[in-house]
Amino acid sequence: MNGPAVAVTGLTKVFPVPFRRQSIVAVRGLDLRVKPGEVYGLLGPNGSGKSTTLKIVLGLVCPTRGQTEIFGRDSRLVESREAVGFLPENPYFYKFLTGTETLRFFGQLGGLSGVSLKKRVDEMLELVGLTDARDRRLRGYSKGMLQRIGLAQALINEPKLVVLDEPTAGVDPAGSRQIRDLIVDLRRRGITVLLSSHLLAQVQEVCDRVGILANGMLVREGRLEELIAVENQTELVLENASGKLVNEIEVLAANSGAKLVARRQSTTTLERLFLEATGNDQARMTNDK
Amino acid sequence: MGVHSCRHNLTIEMNENHHISFSVRRVLAIATNTLIDLTRQKVFYFVLIFALSLIGSSVFMARFSFQQEFQILKDVALGAMSIFTSLLAIIATARLIPQDVEDRTVYTILAKPVPRFEYVLGRLAGVLLLLAISTLIMSVMFLVVLYGREQAVLHETARQMSSLPHEQLEDALRAVRSSALNIDILPGIGLIFVKACLLASLTLFVSTFATTNIFAIVVMVVVYFIGHLQATAREYWLQQSNLGWLKRAFLALVALTFPDLQAFNLVDDIVAGAAIPLTLFLNVAGLGVFYIAIYTLLAAVVFYGKEL
Repeated sequence: MNGPAVAVTGLTKVFPVPFRRQSIVAVRGLDLRVKPGEVYGLLGPNGSGKSTTLKIVLGLVCPTRGQTEIFGRDSRLVESREAVGFLPENPYFYKFLTGTETLRFFGQLGGLSGVSLKKRVDEMLELVGLTDARDRRLRGYSKGMLQRIGLAQALINEPKLVVLDEPTAGVDPAGSRQIRDLIVDLRRRGITVLLSSHLLAQVQEVCDRVGILANGMLVREGRLEELIAVENQTELVLENASGKLVNEIEVLAANSGAKLVARRQSTTTLERLFLEATGNDQARMTNDK
Repeated sequence: MGVHSCRHNLTIEMNENHHISFSVRRVLAIATNTLIDLTRQKVFYFVLIFALSLIGSSVFMARFSFQQEFQILKDVALGAMSIFTSLLAIIATARLIPQDVEDRTVYTILAKPVPRFEYVLGRLAGVLLLLAISTLIMSVMFLVVLYGREQAVLHETARQMSSLPHEQLEDALRAVRSSALNIDILPGIGLIFVKACLLASLTLFVSTFATTNIFAIVVMVVVYFIGHLQATAREYWLQQSNLGWLKRAFLALVALTFPDLQAFNLVDDIVAGAAIPLTLFLNVAGLGVFYIAIYTLLAAVVFYGKEL
């Protein structure tokens, strides 16, 4: 497979507003490519066109102009979704079904049946840490559990492309960490991930490339480390360095024509502190061997 | 074969892969899911228990002769079955698609390789299964009650006429049996079920463009009344000698658009003990199936172009 996993060409989406002259342009002339096996983050503020773009890519909404393809197939074709798993924003499932029944249902829609379906349901419940809650109805699930069952249904048919719309929105730090660990694991297994988010710090850890949307247009795109690198600055992190050594480094830098911009004690992140304090400093979800 | 899911491009394309364009398994998965979802909700049990209570309570209604007793029992029971299957059809179906769209559950379903018409068909099939189970339960209850009363009346008749000649006794017992259980009840129940399925498919069509399930229910209540009254109203108007072509065309349009639900009501004939001709049953059932197919097709077409 040489072509891109997702190809968006000249995409425009206009939503007509009844009884008003001016319609809403959600996406304007968008071009982007997602390479196979990479984690691509589609970022932007609320109303920037992220979700609309994802829905068009998935064939749920028709474009006004332009084209979208998944692994070379027009995404309006139903069969283009055979290799796709999708987790929508704030997923809501049939609350009268249990976790097992929900996964079985979505597995059947993807063509699984019999023993292979049962095995896959068990694997997914294990992966997302919901084995103990498998026979509980979804009405009794917390927000984080619903997100996890949503991930499980997205992965149950072994997709080659996983589309995640705001996967960590409304999820606590522990759940958010687990989802990000899962995304990293998906990349390790060669699965392409296209995710949208406005929680930038969380996305920063997992994405290979990002595209930033504003008012329906792609305003920046590229590899994450290139986009966020400050061009003429270098970071050094020293452990057990004495004050004398640091002063010597500062003098050395000044003599070379460089300038020491900042000198401060390294800090952890608030998220790591939270996880350590609440005893969630190890990922609960198991990775595949 | 590939099917585009956009309104302005309903073309079929060949492709080199072998995706199954129509999968009975997928439709059954959606139908089973719908049935489980509906049967675990309180509304189903309230409607069913209420219907069963009404059927059962008909046993305690005032009795005059056994013929009147059996007539009342059949009238109440079949009437209850008709009303409650119709109610269940409308209430159960009205919420399916609007709720899925509002909860965005439809995104997760259609993000799988599921054509939109399979989704619509599967949801309808789930409701039809629910109606079949409900009709069966109510029918069994009704027939058990009717059989029980028949046996009680037969026993009482035999006791009261034990001293009379055997031929007179046999005649009396035969009269009791012909008033109670007879084979014509079954096509009557069959048409009650077909009418409920028709209402479900029409509700499904309305729900594809309704934004809320309340709107769909209100529209269907209006359709229900029009459906039951339109034949009578049409006959009255057609008898008017000065009816213009415009009014006639309007009446024809109403007759075509709204199904004549009164045609599915054979309760009066069953209660009166009239035989139901097979041709009548087949014609009415066939008409019902035709309407179900048309409304389901319309629902699939509207849902194809729906912006989610």
